[in-house]
Amino acid sequence: MRARPHRGHSLGHIGTLDLVETLLTVVRKDASLRRVPSSGERVIFWTLPAVAVIWLAAFFLFPGFVRPMSPRASATEVATFYREHTARIRYSMILLNWFCVALIPLLMLVVERMRGMAHRTPILRFCVIGVAGAAPIAFLTTTVFWLLAAFQPERAPELTQLLNDLGWVTFTCGVPFLVAQSGFLALAIHFDRQEQPVFPRWVAHFNLVIGLALIPAAFAGLTKTGVFAWDGLVSFWVKNVAIAIWIIVMSIVVGHAVESDHAAGAEAVA
Amino acid sequence: MTRRSLRDNPKRELWLAWGATVFFYNLYAVVFFLFTHIQPPGQPWYSPDQASTWFTEHHHGLGIGLALIFVFGGLSATSIALITYSIRRMSVSRAFSYSYLIIYSVSAVPGFLFICVALTAGIMRPERSPQLQHWLYQLGFLSFSGTMGVFLIGSLIWMCAILLDGNRVFPKWFGYLNLCNALTEVVVSPSWIFKTGVFPWNGLIAWWIDVVIFGIYTGVFITLLRSMIIREDFGTGPLPAVPAWRFWQSPVETAP
Repeated sequence: MRARPHRGHSLGHIGTLDLVETLLTVVRKDASLRRVPSSGERVIFWTLPAVAVIWLAAFFLFPGFVRPMSPRASATEVATFYREHTARIRYSMILLNWFCVALIPLLMLVVERMRGMAHRTPILRFCVIGVAGAAPIAFLTTTVFWLLAAFQPERAPELTQLLNDLGWVTFTCGVPFLVAQSGFLALAIHFDRQEQPVFPRWVAHFNLVIGLALIPAAFAGLTKTGVFAWDGLVSFWVKNVAIAIWIIVMSIVVGHAVESDHAAGAEAVA
Repeated sequence: MTRRSLRDNPKRELWLAWGATVFFYNLYAVVFFLFTHIQPPGQPWYSPDQASTWFTEHHHGLGIGLALIFVFGGLSATSIALITYSIRRMSVSRAFSYSYLIIYSVSAVPGFLFICVALTAGIMRPERSPQLQHWLYQLGFLSFSGTMGVFLIGSLIWMCAILLDGNRVFPKWFGYLNLCNALTEVVVSPSWIFKTGVFPWNGLIAWWIDVVIFGIYTGVFITLLRSMIIREDFGTGPLPAVPAWRFWQSPVETAP
């Protein structure tokens, strides 16, 4: 690769080469600290802004999210929707199918931080690992249902509606793993009683609030109208905004922890 | 247990996970047997019209029951975490414990999320054509009974770990009970083929015998996990034996 002046770790550059070079610089620096347990974690962390842009773009590309699809739509209306927006549905869902599991590395950064908590056993870490895979996989299943509906939009409208329903129910009600994850993290942070806790105390309360905000979406199957319906205020907006806020806040909190671990590790090696 | 004793108890994480496990399995039983009537299961030989009627008849119970599973389903991770911990406490490689953790974590999506999604979609539109309701009905029950490999291999891994273990975390007979649980996943396989007789998803073998064995297995492992927590000394050698008279003592009294 052509030699360029070193520009630090900022991801403010737009050029792809710059981005690649910046990542490589981080990788090389981390590789020189092989003995540090947090080695390479900054690479994982700095993939997040890029992934977040893709998530956000795909979210708004899917026409069923911009104005949430109504569960009251007739089979014909649903089929028309898939016929009219076939391309956007396909592209957005392919993007989300690719990148929804990119949440797992972030969760594993959290799991690695949990090693430093003042716990007697790794039980809560195992609990978080136990649910970390399921939520993204449930979302992956959702994309499969919606992609399947868009694969052949001219099929019988009732079949398209069935696939659409399965997608929306999985997407909306599939919160049990995220609810549990927030609960486990809240408890883990609460139990982390030491002089310098891994995460600040408020992160425990924050997780508790997010967990509670996700619960109403579990009841979306009971009604097709009102705030609990899958296009309703609590089941769609509160739930999805809560997930977005969780990802942003936890990324920042984990980012800080990764940086301070890395600094401590580098000091130890030096 | 008082607030203070919980905070000071070095086994608090273990006890909370154990309590959540007990809560989860009780909730599971209440929801599946009483609320939704998913257990004992509906008939595999139902016609499309009968399947459609089944959804209508169980509408409210299914709606509320499945929503509760959507809220609390993630607590299934607590028993998986405890069992993973139990295997790590044994004198075997951690490969056993991590295999168990991954296999059972993955099982959640096909094992219980699919049935909840399929049956929820079923109650949302009672006016849907009976053929499609029939398909949802079958997707629900078959994914639930027919998700086999994860539990088969998971149980066998736990069994091998127990039989190889020199730290006497569990009695050897429980290793063989794992084999019984694994075998239930073998004999449930004909439910993918038969609609009547002893083999279908509600049959004598695939349901009645399997549920009894699974019920005993679950009750036994929850009890044995409790025993393990009581005996845990946070060392790496053999777990101390527990005198019979201490076995039913409260966790606080037995905590070091």
